[in-house]
Amino acid sequence: MHGIGDRELRPGCGTRWLTIAALLLSPIGIADLRAQMTPTDYEVKAAYLYNFGGFVQWSAKANALKNDAFTICVLGQDPFGATLDTALAGETIAGRKVAVRRIVKPPEAATCHIVFISSSENGQLKEVLAGLDETGALTVSDLPQFSQRGGMVQFILEGNKVRFEVNLAPVEHAGLTLSSELLKLAVHVKRNAPKGN
Amino acid sequence: MFRFRNHSISQKLRWMNLLVSGAALLLACGAFVTYDLISFRERIIRNLSIQAEIVGSNSISALLFNDSQSAQKTLSALNASPYIVSAAIYTPDNKPFAAYWRAGEDKAGRLPEHPVATIKLSFKGGEIVVLRPVLFQGKVAGMVYIQSDLQELISRLKRYALLVGGVLLISLMAALLTSVMIGRSIAAPIVQLADTARIVSQEKIYSVRAPATGNRDELAVLINTFNEMLTQIQARDTALEEARDHLEQRVEERTAQLNAANQELEAFSYSVSHDLRAPLRHIRSFSGILQEEYGAQLDPVAQGYVQRIRTGAVHMTQLIEDLLRLSRLGRQEPARQPTDLNSLLQAVLQELQPELEGRQIEWRIAELPVVECDSGLMKQVFANLLSNAVKYTRRRELTIIEVSYSMRDGAPVFFVRDNGAGFDQRYADKLFGVFQRLHRAEEFEGTGVGLATVQRIVQKHGGQIWADSEVEKGATFSFSLGVGRDTVREKSVVAAASGEG
Repeated sequence: MHGIGDRELRPGCGTRWLTIAALLLSPIGIADLRAQMTPTDYEVKAAYLYNFGGFVQWSAKANALKNDAFTICVLGQDPFGATLDTALAGETIAGRKVAVRRIVKPPEAATCHIVFISSSENGQLKEVLAGLDETGALTVSDLPQFSQRGGMVQFILEGNKVRFEVNLAPVEHAGLTLSSELLKLAVHVKRNAPKGN
Repeated sequence: MFRFRNHSISQKLRWMNLLVSGAALLLACGAFVTYDLISFRERIIRNLSIQAEIVGSNSISALLFNDSQSAQKTLSALNASPYIVSAAIYTPDNKPFAAYWRAGEDKAGRLPEHPVATIKLSFKGGEIVVLRPVLFQGKVAGMVYIQSDLQELISRLKRYALLVGGVLLISLMAALLTSVMIGRSIAAPIVQLADTARIVSQEKIYSVRAPATGNRDELAVLINTFNEMLTQIQARDTALEEARDHLEQRVEERTAQLNAANQELEAFSYSVSHDLRAPLRHIRSFSGILQEEYGAQLDPVAQGYVQRIRTGAVHMTQLIEDLLRLSRLGRQEPARQPTDLNSLLQAVLQELQPELEGRQIEWRIAELPVVECDSGLMKQVFANLLSNAVKYTRRRELTIIEVSYSMRDGAPVFFVRDNGAGFDQRYADKLFGVFQRLHRAEEFEGTGVGLATVQRIVQKHGGQIWADSEVEKGATFSFSLGVGRDTVREKSVVAAASGEG
């Protein structure tokens, strides 16, 4: 699985431009050029979304709503772009093919296993979360205070690294079980009932 | 080699015991220790693999979410095992993600760039490396690398070495002890038997006996049989001595008897020589006078009678002379001197001249060697044989008499051959008996004592005489003298030695 994000080893600015210059001189296309560089935050987050799939168990009720494919949805303005699709193309979770969807409204998330809530939904987060309540999907976002506001997993940037925070209250409410292997890596694990907006 | 076969029985038993127990123990210990070490090594590897799996499964999320700290924490739990030298978690592109070193290890350059699972075993710096992939959703998310040293194995081996050494030592001592004890019951009787045998053989003392053991084993059988044999030998010895004494006694008796007989014989010959010959002389002389002086006055019949008296007397005298000679022989020992047989033969022929008158005789006389014998007696032999040859060829027109010899086993065998009347070979052995004649007196005169005399002489010389013949085809009388090669010398040698020309 590429994109594990060894970002401490990212060269400093000066060396970075030198690398680019060196690469430009070699017969590689612009597309390859981007691949040679260290992954972006969203590439890492895309990988993490996929990885969560291996450490979460959905409730029976939630599973009843889902299809055969393991669906990862992006709700709102898609910050990933093609990254998400290329990253997850051909992957499987527990033997099920991974599908990627873009949705606009919470009801569309019925068949989603994981829903990434874009920062564009910041204004109506509460409604969105309420709407996603019945779907039993794992809610993930990089909105600030997402977990405080009732989100399950919040992406956090710590230094150069993408980390995450977990709020177990909405997790349990949705009938989800998160593996301890996952929880031990969380920067923060809390169990707060969602605060007001 | 240290000459095992010359050691005593006790030593051999001891060695055998030690070698057998030692070898058996070493083999057994070797086999078990080897087996144990092999399975222990496998166990070590298995344990390491399990540890790698556990570390791996606990590090999946750390790898996936790029949390090297968490991975580090998982790895550090490995310090529970004092034999693990270092461990690391690699990303799929073989970059170290987290690492662990045993306390006090030199960290520099210990982690391999491209880890390969190996088992390198040696007693110095041997190590076991285990590599395990970390899988997430069927794909490799990273590698776990654990390196362990072999101290566990080595210290186990050392303990085993001590144990085996100790066990070996104790059991060898026990083996030594038992062999000494058992040796006594086996080796001691054998040694005693050997000693007894040596005494008997060297000092010829048959009264000793080997001490018996109380057992019933083969050794006891040997000892008892040995003693029995000694008893038998003793008995035989005694019997032999008795027989010898007895024999000596008998020999004495026989000798006395023999002497008595000889004396009687001497007396007899003396009496014959005196008493018998005197009357005979009378008969001869008076019949002679009768013939000479009064022969003319007698008629032919009476003359015939007188002649017969005379002939008979002469014959009887001859007989008596021959018998006397024969008996005298019995008491004589033949002198042994180198004798030239050729000159002896010539002398004999001279004396035979009267009988050769008017005879056609072809003499074939070979050159005879010089032998050691009694010349006088030998002359009698040849005289007799030649005289017989001449006598029994009288009816032949041409007489051929051959005297020669052949060498047989380095000794000369002489023979006198004639082409005369011969005799029936069936009665050959009778020829040499006293008074034995195979021809009638009318055919050939004789006393029947001559050949007996010849045989006596030849036998006195240690030789043998025999005769071969066919009726009317002549006879060959052969005799040896019992002289060996060294006493027979060719005439020329003797001549040279005694300075003759």
